[in-house]
Amino acid sequence: MSTPFLSVRDLHVHFSTEDGVVKAVDGLSFDVVKGKTLGIVGESGSGKSVTNLAILGLHNREHTTLEGEILLDGQELLTAGERDLEKLRGNKMSMIFQDALASLSPYHTVGAQIAETYRKHTGASKKEARDRAIEMLRRVGIPQPDVRVDDYPHQFSGGMRQRAMIAMALVCDPELLIADEPTTALDVTVQAQIMDLLKDLQQEFGTAIIFITHDLGVIADIADDVLVMYGGRCVERGTKKQVLSTPDHPYTLGLLNSMPTLDGSVDVPLTPIPGSPPSLLNPPSGCRFHPRCAFAEKVSDGRCSTERPKLDVVEGRGSACLLTAEQKQDLFADFAGTRHN
Amino acid sequence: MIRFLIRRTLGAAVILLIISAITFFLFYVAPRDPARVACGKVCTPQTLNLVRHNLGIADPIPVQYWHWLEGIFVGRDYSSFGHCSAPCLGYSFQSQTPVLSLILDRFPTTIGLSIGAAVVFVIFGVGTGMIAAVKQGKALDKIASSASLIGSSLQIYIVGIIAMYYLSDQWHLVTRPNDHAGFTQDPAAWFGGLLLPWLVLAIIFTANYTRMTRSQLVETLSEDYVRTARAKGLSRRTVFFRFAWRGAMAPIVTIFGIDLGTLLGGAIITEQTFGLHGIGALSIKAVRDNDLPMLLGVILVAAAAIVVFNIIVDAIYAVIDPRVRLA
Amino acid sequence: MSLSRRNFVIATSVAAGGSMVLSACSSGGGGGNSTSNGAGTHTYTGHVTVGTAQDSQGPAPEIQGAVKGGNINGLSPSDFSHLDPQRIYFAWNSALALLYVRCLTGYKIAPDGSQKLVGDLATDTGTMSNGGKTWTFTLKDGLKWEDGSDLTVEDVRHGIERGFASFTTEGAQYLQTALTGSADFRSVYKGPYDGKHLEGVVIDSAKKTITFNLKTAQPQLNFILAMHSYGAVPVKHDTKEKYDKDPVSCGPYKLAAHAPDKSLKMARNPHWDPKTDPIRNAYPDSFSFEFGVESLPESDRLIADSGNDQYTIMAYNGVPAERIQKVLTTPALKQRTINGLLTGLYYYAINCKRITDPKVRQALNYAWPLEQIRRIYGGPSAGDYATSVLSPDILGYAHQDVFGKLKKPQGDTAKAKALLKEAGKLGQTIVYTYPQGRESAYEKTKIVIANALKEAGFNPVIKPVDSTSYYDQVQQINNQFDVMWFGWSPDWPSGYSVIQPLFDGATIANGSNNVSQLNVPWINQAIKQNALITDPAKAGDAWAALDEKIMTQEAPIIPETFQRRFYLHGSKVGGALFDPNFSAFVLYKLYVKA
Repeated sequence: MSTPFLSVRDLHVHFSTEDGVVKAVDGLSFDVVKGKTLGIVGESGSGKSVTNLAILGLHNREHTTLEGEILLDGQELLTAGERDLEKLRGNKMSMIFQDALASLSPYHTVGAQIAETYRKHTGASKKEARDRAIEMLRRVGIPQPDVRVDDYPHQFSGGMRQRAMIAMALVCDPELLIADEPTTALDVTVQAQIMDLLKDLQQEFGTAIIFITHDLGVIADIADDVLVMYGGRCVERGTKKQVLSTPDHPYTLGLLNSMPTLDGSVDVPLTPIPGSPPSLLNPPSGCRFHPRCAFAEKVSDGRCSTERPKLDVVEGRGSACLLTAEQKQDLFADFAGTRHN
Repeated sequence: MIRFLIRRTLGAAVILLIISAITFFLFYVAPRDPARVACGKVCTPQTLNLVRHNLGIADPIPVQYWHWLEGIFVGRDYSSFGHCSAPCLGYSFQSQTPVLSLILDRFPTTIGLSIGAAVVFVIFGVGTGMIAAVKQGKALDKIASSASLIGSSLQIYIVGIIAMYYLSDQWHLVTRPNDHAGFTQDPAAWFGGLLLPWLVLAIIFTANYTRMTRSQLVETLSEDYVRTARAKGLSRRTVFFRFAWRGAMAPIVTIFGIDLGTLLGGAIITEQTFGLHGIGALSIKAVRDNDLPMLLGVILVAAAAIVVFNIIVDAIYAVIDPRVRLA
Repeated sequence: MSLSRRNFVIATSVAAGGSMVLSACSSGGGGGNSTSNGAGTHTYTGHVTVGTAQDSQGPAPEIQGAVKGGNINGLSPSDFSHLDPQRIYFAWNSALALLYVRCLTGYKIAPDGSQKLVGDLATDTGTMSNGGKTWTFTLKDGLKWEDGSDLTVEDVRHGIERGFASFTTEGAQYLQTALTGSADFRSVYKGPYDGKHLEGVVIDSAKKTITFNLKTAQPQLNFILAMHSYGAVPVKHDTKEKYDKDPVSCGPYKLAAHAPDKSLKMARNPHWDPKTDPIRNAYPDSFSFEFGVESLPESDRLIADSGNDQYTIMAYNGVPAERIQKVLTTPALKQRTINGLLTGLYYYAINCKRITDPKVRQALNYAWPLEQIRRIYGGPSAGDYATSVLSPDILGYAHQDVFGKLKKPQGDTAKAKALLKEAGKLGQTIVYTYPQGRESAYEKTKIVIANALKEAGFNPVIKPVDSTSYYDQVQQINNQFDVMWFGWSPDWPSGYSVIQPLFDGATIANGSNNVSQLNVPWINQAIKQNALITDPAKAGDAWAALDEKIMTQEAPIIPETFQRRFYLHGSKVGGALFDPNFSAFVLYKLYVKA
């Protein structure tokens, strides 16, 4: 395994609100390697987006406290000054947001928004930046890029907007790309196109990608490694194959059961996870998943509600659950049999 | 854009036509007789008829209205005043001067008052609103917000009279408001004469702009595209002015256009309070005197100012926000 | 809040006559005691007398301490509405017209406010013959227009004849009616512009005489001729309609500049000869007026008395209620005031066509809460209680109080109720109206009026009318109002000038000032008889007696107040004197203090 390009260690992100402190991220660690894609999975409010905003330093500084360590190519980001971060953002690391329509400025042309990033970081002339924008649009597959470069976002279709967003994120050849649910709002065909595009671009430039989604199907398509988040913590991680085929945490199992199979068979009933995501203002004690966990009573002495399960990682693989390996083998057996065999 | 302008101008003309017709007919709904003013104390029916004839109001109302419209396009002949060339808005019943010349005479004061005040209140209002938005929740924000609340609850005739009494009469800090000097004749005196009205108008209007700017900016600052801009590595400053401000501007421009249009149509209470001779003062006089042509004239000016500024606002809106399409 | 405004159509014009002791003030001192004992028992002196040829000789007596030079500045909310003498009727316009218009006769005002009718252009107040049907006047020597040309009898006649022209509808009509014997006088003579002259006016250029041969006797023609509507206009410089913008002066000042509704300047007329003028002094070099200044800021400027405002006067709006207490209780400010009664009567007209029983009308008079109403106007400084139709200015005025209002100014609702019961009209509905939107005070007086009426057993219904159409509505003969706020100023200080227009049954018509629609044969007859009495003193007594009889027997109106107005002037203004005719500063007596 090569040296991680991005390394997050024991990250805590706390918001102070009028009602109290929200522990949005509570001791999260992971690495991303160049040329690889890390998929982060979780329901909304699990802390996945917050983590990535913290990496870029785009959290609200007034109300947020960060602890831990974020190293980008060896540079500490948590303590970096605003100026230094501005130089990195959009340049060495950039981000693709979920809702391209809302995330692109309605007041500026697509071309201008792309060129602006390029000029900011390279000091290129207007002409050069415009040419670069056209080139980027062409690369992300926008037809007639030299014409569309002067269009406004509202004149683009949804898929095209997302492509433009990608073009904007990639204009400075970033080494780290954070994609926050970039395909959620798109239909399946376009979704697939966008994913292919990201894959192609990654192959070409060797970009490290963090791909945030709540959709395991997307993960299956794009990720190399997977990190499953619940209630601000990592509950399971491993390679894509490990996590999807042999899930080691009841929550991951629940997620897999709640989605259609990838081969499209429709005869298996979907089982959503009962209950709702935890409040991060008053998170459940012990294992944060225990109020929703089907197997919580299998652990003796009610430890699930008192003891925080440790995440033991061996060679990038691990999960945070108090069930023993034997219990899991028993309890999860059905899954292996009915789903991904 | 040209199609838009043509279409809106035609629309405006129709609106003005309707407004003038409504004014004309409403004027006569009340059982009043404008001829009475010029009929002396012992008003015989014969004299009354003579006055009606002199004023051009002896005909049935629709015919009068037709003559009035005709005057605007082809001019009009009066038995007592002679020819009034197009565009003729008629003669004032009271001062027996062409309405148009009176309006043109008064307009510089109104323009000076409105634009000057607008400059002051936009700079102060938008400025404090920006500070409040940037310093959200901090002391400066709270001061700016409460100051604007106080400002908006003030009445011009109260503040105006108090300000004149202390600032001009007692402490001699500011010249007593006047419009004796024209802008071109003596800019310094012109400025001095309008300074106090500007400030007083600004106190009252600023509040609105502070609140609006603050709330608009707070809203746009939390927009996704502002976050995107930051994620691109742009500085706070650039993001604030190029993205957040741009988004906040549209509604402010709208309100500003309406305010300016209203002010240009005659700041009635302001002019009255400060003894300025603009369109507002003319309107009051027209109402007091039952002076129909004058009334029609000032109402048309006011309506035209508002309609024109509406068109301008829409055009500017389209420039600011490309999602708005003209045509 | 001053109750009188320029556009108070009714109480507007020349009323002449005595002013009161209280308003008699020597130059600049603000003179007399302005308080009253609350019971309204003022002593009114000062009535107009007819002066002799001696009195008619110029120059006017010098004012002690007055010096020539400087500029006096006047402030007002509104501009003068007319400058053409034939179109002048309002007191406000006349106050200025005194500076540049001269008539055959005029009023010579003494420092104590008393006054005499004297010859102005004429050598005396005229010679009457033929029972008041013929009047002859002789012009003085040395009369000139502002261009230096002579003012001739032709010019005097021209002014009279212009009163028939189609564009001079605003002016007085008494002389025109008397000369033609017709209220529709324009059908008889159409003015001087087609080269024809008026039959009833005979001039002799050599002797400089002008003779009026009237169709109907008018023993008071010399008073009528003092109205500016009959001022002289130069035949050579008459510009007809345009004369209103550019009148030619024969007085001490001429129009120098006029920006309508903004400002007006009068400068000295070098061709005016003080030796011809018994009335006017002319100390300042010029007068300037600034329009559009509302009365509150106007007061504040005069109170502050800084810079140029030291040379400033309130031109026509008095000290408003908001400032009156401050002004009257601050000695330094009170020093700089003058005050006097307005010429007219404020009253409530009772619609006699609807309220036919005199007992009910008397009950209304008893019930009316004068004290509460005056308190809303500002108390005693706002004016004196009116207890008669004729005001104290009127020649022959005699104090009377038919309904005992001075004893019970708060109203005697018990007596009113008893009367109403007697008439069998308890619960009688009274529809009261007033002009809405002009004065906020009327919104308050309606409440005390309604309360008093309820207490007296009436059923009051308040129906205000928008002030812009108020007169048009209440002057409809078939209106639906019972009691209507109203006011009247006489055109000259005689009983005829009040009682004839208000109570002569022959005048009843839409637009008539007989708003009470009183049509009683014995009153109509008495008006005709009194009008023919040639001796002014006897006539005065007859009118006063008729006043009392009308109020006692018919009670067609409820008299309210003789209103008082206070004016402020700057500290450098001398010669301040309240004009009893036009209720303003006497401009031609002012001077700039050294």
